[in-house]
Amino acid sequence: MLDWLLEPLAFDFMQRGLLAATLVGVICAVVGCYIVLRGMAFLGDALAHTILPGMALGYLVSGGQRGALFWWALAAAVVSSLGIGALSRDGRLKQDTAIGIVFAGMFALGVALISTARSYAVDLSHFLFGNILGITNQDIGLTFSVGVLVLLLVWAFYKEFLVLAFDVQLATTLRLPARLLEILLSLLTAVAIVASLQTVGVALVAAMLVTPAATAMLLTKSLPRMMLLAALIAAGSGFLGLYISFYFNVASGAAIVLTCTLIFVLVWLLRRPGVRNAAA
Amino acid sequence: MLKRIFNPSPAHAHGQRSVAVDLRKLSVRFDGHLALEDISLQVEPGLRVAVVGPNGAGKSTLFNVLAGLLLPSAGQVRIYGHAPAQHHCLAYVPQSSQVDWTFPVSVRDVVMMGRSGHLGLLRWPGAEDRRLVDESLARVGLAGLARRQIGQLSGGQRQRMFIARALAQGANLLLLDEPLAGLDIPSQEQIVNILDELRALSISVLFATHDLGLAAERFDRILLLNRRLVAYGSPEQVFSGEHLTAAYGGHMQAIETKDGRLLLGDSGGHAHA
Repeated sequence: MLDWLLEPLAFDFMQRGLLAATLVGVICAVVGCYIVLRGMAFLGDALAHTILPGMALGYLVSGGQRGALFWWALAAAVVSSLGIGALSRDGRLKQDTAIGIVFAGMFALGVALISTARSYAVDLSHFLFGNILGITNQDIGLTFSVGVLVLLLVWAFYKEFLVLAFDVQLATTLRLPARLLEILLSLLTAVAIVASLQTVGVALVAAMLVTPAATAMLLTKSLPRMMLLAALIAAGSGFLGLYISFYFNVASGAAIVLTCTLIFVLVWLLRRPGVRNAAA
Repeated sequence: MLKRIFNPSPAHAHGQRSVAVDLRKLSVRFDGHLALEDISLQVEPGLRVAVVGPNGAGKSTLFNVLAGLLLPSAGQVRIYGHAPAQHHCLAYVPQSSQVDWTFPVSVRDVVMMGRSGHLGLLRWPGAEDRRLVDESLARVGLAGLARRQIGQLSGGQRQRMFIARALAQGANLLLLDEPLAGLDIPSQEQIVNILDELRALSISVLFATHDLGLAAERFDRILLLNRRLVAYGSPEQVFSGEHLTAAYGGHMQAIETKDGRLLLGDSGGHAHA
């Protein structure tokens, strides 16, 4: 058993991968709690897909330099989330319609850009499905800084985000700047998604945002505990998933997400509504 | 805008003598039609006002404008002398159906939200905030349920929790949008009794309801709406056959009993015995 645990650690790429999976798991799980509570899972998935044209452009401009791609991806996500906000702002479109339009349009743009130059299609597939074993020390440093920033902001705006998520009307009557907080929350989502690109990829990042938070919500009825549990579940899934990937030769991003999903299914089956809801 | 988080304004900066609600020629366009038209009204502080009128009369629209959630298309709105959403003095008790009851917060957490507007960024609730929350919970009779997750409360307890939040917020004007809908008679009675007690704190209450009998019996003033202001005054002044026909048309039955009391029934709501 100990050998089974220690053997992968002899490889540098596994050490870096495990560290990255843990960091990304924690970032996504904490931000994901707000996404689950506000019922915005679609926004998470959509934002992840809108990143593609940013990365394709970044690739064209900087020739595959990874540090630069992070910023291009982040720029695309920020532009998309602001665009969604602007489209749904005046009430002519519902928000999920605006999300659908921006998401499909941006993703198509990404596919179009990629298709013009076949030579880098393989590299970009890493961003669709992740390439956790190709992570560099520089990537880890960046992910760590991003993680600290995200957690600090979630902590600093805890009260405000809580009111915003629970009761938007109250946010207005208490004179909290609801729109500013909303933009900040979607920026945090964008940052969490971009940070996860290398571990699970665009196509699967929505699972990292939604599944651990949803699992934690079934287990507790207190927000701080929900965040902590979600972070533990996500970090644990990252660890376990990577070991599964190592020993059974499964794609790493898929293994991590499948582990998350399995934990969710187990919790969902074991915690039936009647047990915890003694509603009057 | 950030200034609003860093420097929240004090709770009771407004003058005690200003009227609670001051509407001047208010018109509101909502969903392409005029939901409220040319409403002028002054509500003195400390009064409990029942807001009545048929479905679609603009009761919720009026509340949304007062809370600053909807902008008027014409006219002026002042709450204790302030524009809407410029002050903490107003609290809106949401309709129960708009609340996510699975949300992972306790009763105490929700009441504490009332304090968050006073605290400002990076400030955490202190002893004074906790004292106010405890006091508010006790006043509505929920002290024993403070640690419950909100989904475990009964319908009446849910409404009382939001009234406690308004008290913790230090609100001087309480908006309740059909708070009795779906509640049994004892729970309804409990909530109206709490509102009676708020009179001692000189908190003004606007209370939208379909229950005209309750409105006549337990409220100081009646605001009868049907897109326009039909009548505002004491129950005796407002509940005349002429006003009711103007507001409800043929959908209203008003029967005067021997002792001079009006028995009223509104097709849109619940009968009150």
